[in-house]
Amino acid sequence: MNAFLRLIEGGAGNLAAYLAAHVLLCLLPAFFIAGAMAALIPKASITRWLGRSAPYHVSYPAAAAAGSLLAVCSCTIVPLFAGIYKKGAGLGPAITFLFFAPAGNVMALAYTGSILGAEFAFARFVLSLLFGIGIGLLMALIFWRDDARHDALTDTAFAERARIGGAALGLLLSLVAVLIAGTLKLSLLNAYVVSVTLPLPGAEAWQATLLRWVPFDAAKGEEGVSVQGSLLIVLLLAIALTAWKGLENIVEGANRWTWLTLGLAAATLLVAAMRLTPSAGGLDVAFTGRVLAVGAALWAVLHHARRLDADAWRAWLWESWRFVKQIFVLLVVGVFVVGMVRQLIQPEWIQNLAGRNDLMANAVAVVFGVFMYFPTLVEVPVARMFLDLGMHPGPLLAYLMADPELSLQSILMVAAVIGRPKTAAYVGLVAIFSVVAGLLYGAWVDGVNAGWVAAGLLAFLGALAALMAWMMARRRRPAPTQV
Amino acid sequence: MKTVKILGSGCANCRKLEAVAREAASSAGIAAEFLKITDMDAILAYDLMSTPGLVIDEKLVSSGRIPTQAEVRQWLAA
Repeated sequence: MNAFLRLIEGGAGNLAAYLAAHVLLCLLPAFFIAGAMAALIPKASITRWLGRSAPYHVSYPAAAAAGSLLAVCSCTIVPLFAGIYKKGAGLGPAITFLFFAPAGNVMALAYTGSILGAEFAFARFVLSLLFGIGIGLLMALIFWRDDARHDALTDTAFAERARIGGAALGLLLSLVAVLIAGTLKLSLLNAYVVSVTLPLPGAEAWQATLLRWVPFDAAKGEEGVSVQGSLLIVLLLAIALTAWKGLENIVEGANRWTWLTLGLAAATLLVAAMRLTPSAGGLDVAFTGRVLAVGAALWAVLHHARRLDADAWRAWLWESWRFVKQIFVLLVVGVFVVGMVRQLIQPEWIQNLAGRNDLMANAVAVVFGVFMYFPTLVEVPVARMFLDLGMHPGPLLAYLMADPELSLQSILMVAAVIGRPKTAAYVGLVAIFSVVAGLLYGAWVDGVNAGWVAAGLLAFLGALAALMAWMMARRRRPAPTQV
Repeated sequence: MKTVKILGSGCANCRKLEAVAREAASSAGIAAEFLKITDMDAILAYDLMSTPGLVIDEKLVSSGRIPTQAEVRQWLAA
């Protein structure tokens, strides 16, 4: 019974710490950014570069851009993947799109950055981009006959052109500014502008109560909940309650609850940017540079949102709310379970299996990533747990590259669209590329000369290019008669 | 009798679209048959790049977004 209580306590503590600290500053704006991307970026502005006649140097970057900007949810990923493969640029760009989407979209980047560090998010982004294009090219070469067969069909779906509107672009940029202002670690943003003390005598006692409720062990990488954190949790709950009334039917128009929800969201971001410290006399409230920056960015968001027409901003708010409903609940449950599981895992196991950056450790991490399926974004808190338990950053990156790309669900989906042999080749390539990515990143973290890491990356890409050149040469030979 | 097809793999937006379309049809008093298309090949037979898609009498009227009830009523009446 005691052990069970300890598990629940671990889960609750982990959840409270995540809600109070990490999630807010990055995920709240990230949901709105993802919503804006889904609702306001016309698909045709990118898909026009993905037609059958697009040359390689256009279609592959465009496929990566589509993965990053359009593929924030599965309603887009599957049709776009199948569309690019069957009606557009072909198998290679479709694979690049599919591989890059889980790592290159704004939610994954913001969340990885805030929980595992900006360096990690950057490495995940760059390596996924390079390797996504590499895997796409390889797949296109291995299965080139298949694309040749598709060439006979038309690609009217990709002929449409569109541009993103000025107000929509302004909105997207100012939302990104909110995200950056809220999370960037700059001394200018942390400097105090003005500080006041609110006469709240209970503040210190409240902090003591919080520490008793959520005890934490800093040595194990656990985090407690501060007074500020508890206030943020209350604000989050209030947003959740008002959003059901304010955003569920936003497509038909806004009501009073809508404005209340949006006001609370803005207030949450501003409170998160302040620094609240309990003291003997009450609660010290410090207005930092960050508050001013977040406030200015929020004003810009409002300014641009007012220039959108009614359909556009309603669609934006609906998509944002849909992401919250789809992802947040899973994330909350996932973080809770991670907190429970952490109580059971001995750090020695992880350190023995994947504490070093070698081939074995990276391979184990990739196999784990393939067989485990975590819902969208839950791979990130799982990765954080492994990092705290002593996993080496190299294998951890290998795991992060393999897990979202190769969940059982995505493998089934890919198999349904492109067939089993191609899926097997894709899974194999992703596994190899993930191990290489882990080894390279791990070497870099270990302080191996940056030149050597770059040389390793170049050697790998060079070997790949040579392989492709050889396959290209083979392809130029007369095709077998049955094609 | 109109035939309304909802194209989508069963994601949240597809369910929302179906609810909007059904309400639009009943509020306008138009008899319509609703079909849910979840098979990807059947969906891609129409020219769309993102779900949910709404097809009325074999014509794709919207894709990648949720139209308002007023819009759906217009399409149904056309």
